[in-house]
Amino acid sequence: MTSNPQLRLVQGEGDDIDGLLARVALGDSAAFGRLYDEVAGSVYGLARRVVRDPQRAEDVVQEVFLEIWRKAPRFDRRLGKAKTWIMTITHRRAVDAVRRNEAEKRHAEETTADDPIQQNPEDAMILAEEHVAVRDCLETLTELQLESVQLAYFNGYTYPQVATLLDRPLATIKTRMRDGLIRLRDCLQGAS
Amino acid sequence: MSDDLHTVSGAYALNAVEPDEAREFERHMSGCQACRDEVRELRATAAAMGAAEAEAPPAALKARVLQAAARQPQLPPVVTEVAPGKRRRRLAILVAAAAAVVAVVVGVVTTEVQHGSQLAQPVAAVFHAPDSQTVRVRTSNGGTLTVAVSHRLHEMAVDTHRLPPLPTAQVYQLWEMAGGHARSAGLVDNPAAGQAMPLPPRSTRVAITIEPAGGSVQPTTQPIVVLRPSQV
Repeated sequence: MTSNPQLRLVQGEGDDIDGLLARVALGDSAAFGRLYDEVAGSVYGLARRVVRDPQRAEDVVQEVFLEIWRKAPRFDRRLGKAKTWIMTITHRRAVDAVRRNEAEKRHAEETTADDPIQQNPEDAMILAEEHVAVRDCLETLTELQLESVQLAYFNGYTYPQVATLLDRPLATIKTRMRDGLIRLRDCLQGAS
Repeated sequence: MSDDLHTVSGAYALNAVEPDEAREFERHMSGCQACRDEVRELRATAAAMGAAEAEAPPAALKARVLQAAARQPQLPPVVTEVAPGKRRRRLAILVAAAAAVVAVVVGVVTTEVQHGSQLAQPVAAVFHAPDSQTVRVRTSNGGTLTVAVSHRLHEMAVDTHRLPPLPTAQVYQLWEMAGGHARSAGLVDNPAAGQAMPLPPRSTRVAITIEPAGGSVQPTTQPIVVLRPSQV
């Protein structure tokens, strides 16, 4: 669909994705292909960030889209936007893949939130205005909020694990995750 | 409400709560609308953070995904068993959109049409046909819908006056769905008047969606209700 993978502005994608998912729920496989085009970049990018290994990220993407296909008839739009539903599935599948393999040694010290996001310059980036807004808004979080949120979300740690890792009380980390997300939410609402 | 428990909403939205505590929080949420709202919003926030990681996937992945999906059946929409009707039959009403919450048949209605004077004549004809069978179902947007089928007239009708009113920019649209395709079965221009249509074939389901005024060529939103008229 995109002949120029370097830069693509996605506009009003939310409505579009909800409409496509409604058609997927009716068994429309063409709509499913278009839905893939719309969200595969976000699904793959998040899977890649969480599981790291490109091959395993592809496996996660495949699991995610199968789940979308199978469960679309039961998607409840009153519980949120289709894109949120899809990203929630992606995150759960990616974290499950990481947690399944606890034996795999993850080096937390190499993957703290302070690390710059590793991007292969050869990789085509999909840029959307809202993604820029997210990155700007993440900068408004305190260091501890950002670390707590990102270690949980991108590294798949539970909040007790994050507390251990950062050597902080459980209640502190739990609270920082909540007020960090709330600050991010409020900032994004202001940005839109 | 335990404030301590409430504050786990952020970690929960990040999928960062151990299973036991997650179950405890879910029990708490079931009685806490504010918690559900907060989790919904924070999940959307986390999703935006995840989506911002977008990276182009390998081109070959799409074909693999589509092929895999083509071999998989979709889960059916939620099926709700209905209390025995006046024919003492059990009716199954198929309702799309979302688990558990939708399509509870409120009752099989025999005396439903008290406001009948407002129903359009073709609609009233189906409701009053001697062989008419009627059920009332809840819709996912908080209304109820009464459906009548007359095999003798070979007609089906819906009484839409208990659907929530829509802003003028929107309209309820009826669809016939079969074989993965949806075909418009008309707009509900006047909810008080209802809508009648020829009884669709057995394999067809009838759905209602909310569309922009003037209607759509294909559904653009999740159905608020899906019916299988052959089982009314």
